[in-house]
Amino acid sequence: MSNKLFAVLISAGLLVGGFWLGQHLATNSPVALVGDADRYTSNAAARITAGTALDASVGASGTGTTIDVFNGESIQAAVKRASSGDIIRVYPGTYQETVYIDKDDIWLTGVIQRGHWPILEGNHTLNDAILYSGNNITVENFRITHYKGNAIMGQAGNNFLIRNNHVIDTGVYGIFPQLGKNGLIERNILSGIEDAAIYVGMCDNIHVNNNEVFENVAGIEIENTRHAIVENNKVYNNTGGILAFITPGLPIKTTYDVIIRNNFISDNNHVNFGAPGSIVAGVPSGSGIVVMAADQVTIEGNIITNNKNVGIVITDHQSFANISLDPESDPNSDQVAILNNVMFNNGYQPINEISALKLVNLIKNDVDIVNVGTSADSCILDPGKYVTLGLDDYGRCNFSDTHGTVSYLLPEPAEPHPFTDTEKGKMAYYGICTGCHAYNVRMIGPPVQIIQALYMDNPEGLADYIAKPIKKREDYPEMPAQNYLSPELRLAVAKFMLGVDNQGQFNDPALNQNP
Amino acid sequence: MQLRHLFILLSCTSALTFASPHYQTCASCHGAQGEGNAAMQAPALAGQSATYLARQLNYFKSGIRGGDQSDTLAQQMRAMAGILPSEAAVQSVSLFLANLPRTQPAVTISGDADKGYKLYNMKCGACHGPNGQGNEALKAPALAGVGDAYLARQFTLFKTGARGSHPEDKPGRQMKMMSTHLSNDDLRDVLAYINTIGR
Ligand code: HEC
Ligand code: HEC
Ligand code: HEC
Repeated sequence: MSNKLFAVLISAGLLVGGFWLGQHLATNSPVALVGDADRYTSNAAARITAGTALDASVGASGTGTTIDVFNGESIQAAVKRASSGDIIRVYPGTYQETVYIDKDDIWLTGVIQRGHWPILEGNHTLNDAILYSGNNITVENFRITHYKGNAIMGQAGNNFLIRNNHVIDTGVYGIFPQLGKNGLIERNILSGIEDAAIYVGMCDNIHVNNNEVFENVAGIEIENTRHAIVENNKVYNNTGGILAFITPGLPIKTTYDVIIRNNFISDNNHVNFGAPGSIVAGVPSGSGIVVMAADQVTIEGNIITNNKNVGIVITDHQSFANISLDPESDPNSDQVAILNNVMFNNGYQPINEISALKLVNLIKNDVDIVNVGTSADSCILDPGKYVTLGLDDYGRCNFSDTHGTVSYLLPEPAEPHPFTDTEKGKMAYYGICTGCHAYNVRMIGPPVQIIQALYMDNPEGLADYIAKPIKKREDYPEMPAQNYLSPELRLAVAKFMLGVDNQGQFNDPALNQNP
Repeated sequence: MQLRHLFILLSCTSALTFASPHYQTCASCHGAQGEGNAAMQAPALAGQSATYLARQLNYFKSGIRGGDQSDTLAQQMRAMAGILPSEAAVQSVSLFLANLPRTQPAVTISGDADKGYKLYNMKCGACHGPNGQGNEALKAPALAGVGDAYLARQFTLFKTGARGSHPEDKPGRQMKMMSTHLSNDDLRDVLAYINTIGR
């Protein structure tokens, strides 16, 4: 008996010794240190410090009067009456409408009484629940369900605050700020979205925290967006958990400076129910974090478990299904940093491509982290902690945490986008249409190139179509009606769309027809 | 028993003389079942959209298609379209062809079908449909089951402007604009993908 114990002790000692030796050798081996040691402690892009309330510079001011909306009344009517600074309080009840806010500084707040919420009900017939194009908009405390398009969509509005909403079984995107600077998305719950539940598109200075997203195709997607933090979210049973992407063919060509930290990312094994052929339809089921073509993405402190394909995958445009190259975008994910995360039981049922890579690299164990393609100046803090594949070129990170960077939200509200009146068409194109239409890539809707061929010299026809779209393609979802836009704006955006190029610049449409 | 045999026999003969008598001359180039004829460079027409076929026949008749003197094959087909005496004849032969089962012409072009699928999905599928079956609402014909050599030639005609330049040919002008967005190498890959459909 005592002999046995002794033997166990000895072997434990050997193990520890071996571990020490391994560590020792590892530090002696010439692995490059990668990244500035003070990357996150003296981070120029982060200008607020610990202790500042995250919502200090976002949302409405609430300095005006309060307008109450009761069950049976119309929220949109209240928005029409409201002026900047006003608070619109919506009492519990069921509201079947689309709310469009085209003013600045409006606070749209639901009143929750004894567990009863105001419910926005789309009945599977309405397209969008809440759309805003104003700056400094707050949307909070709503239950949104059964819309076909988006639950909450921002169209070029800055300083937004979207919190404490429940979005259930609602169309294409759940919470979808497009082209916004300085925005906070917190404490929302979203489920049953056929693209991304939280989709941050072409934005800057964004904070996404304490949300719960499950049973969507993509949980949280940071796309063509700079300076964003995604933290403390619960992300489970989606097809893909958290995605940092560059979508090719959009007028903004980069994604960089993204921190994904302290999230629970588990069991993202949901069958992919995205529209076949769309970009998200190419996300393999069972992917915890997907980094595609995004730069300076740092992954820290996440608990990543039970994602059957892989815990973290870093890849490029070449290797991803349903993507074509954009000559204006760098296709690689560079300067990715993987710091300390807890990862276990991932990669137990990988897609064929990863299985093939494992075979070639003689790896038998389930893989936590895969890199496919070139990834320059990337690093991993402690490779011994995970089973990795394709990370041979990764150095050791020269920084160990991101604590010095609290948020990329701005200390002061951002200025409105500098669109003049004559640029209204451009604003609508950037702020609305590019959410679903990329130039030469299939997103939710057909590529802009194809729309230009269909409507080349017929902007009036295009303007009519978007006011009342009819379903034309069996393998695409329906296009939501843009009838909330004025006829002038519809024609302006139609003209802009017919002349726009891959850079988002407007040209004479005749040039596009005969290049 | 007897009756049934008779019925089969009858339907066979009627297939030989064709449900649409106007198809008689066409069969020498486009095949008895509309399966096309590679030697004649005539495309398969079986299962193609009737409205598309009728439009093309009328385009040939009026010179909107095949008006370009350099395109000798289209010139040939123009003469053939001319023998259809009336709009009713155009409609009946088109309907007859549309109802024939889709064929699988021999593969003559090789390329990277996986790459071709991606390209097709990005650049063609939104009009020609997810499986190359065409889209009536967009006036785009089926590409599957037509024949790769013919498709490649038409694509080039759109590119050079020999097809799709006539001001009254709106669908053709749409296709002409799309043809400038795909290189010849990429076209081979797309055709390789189209060749895999239904096989
Ligand atoms: C929520 C996603 C979404 C947004 C936002 C969107 N679209 Fe679409 N659009 C679609 C989808 C999906 C289709 C394909 C519909 C079909 O074929 O049935 C489509 C199709 C189209 C078409 C093709 C019509 C045709 O005749 O084939 C045009 C034109 C168009 N959209 C213009 C616009 C414009 C302009 C905007 C911005 C004001 C816009 N779309 C915003 C999803 C969207
Ligand atoms: C002498 C051979 C010949 C005969 C006979 C002929 N065709 Fe053609 N047909 C062609 C060729 C070659 C083409 C391809 C033309 C081109 O390349 O532009 C063609 C093209 C067509 C097309 C266009 C197909 C497409 O996908 O766009 C149609 C429709 C057609 N023929 C119908 C007919 C009908 C109906 C008849 C009988 C009235 C007929 N053809 C008789 C040789 C023939
Ligand atoms: C904007 C919609 C649209 C797109 C996108 C499009 N096409 Fe077309 N295509 C058409 C239409 C419409 C026609 C029929 C033209 C006519 O009626 O003369 C056509 C005709 C064709 C034809 C001639 C078929 C025949 O039987 O003669 C070919 C080949 C073709 N397309 C290939 C392609 C390929 C390859 C792509 C992708 C690179 C593509 N098309 C993308 C609309 C489109």
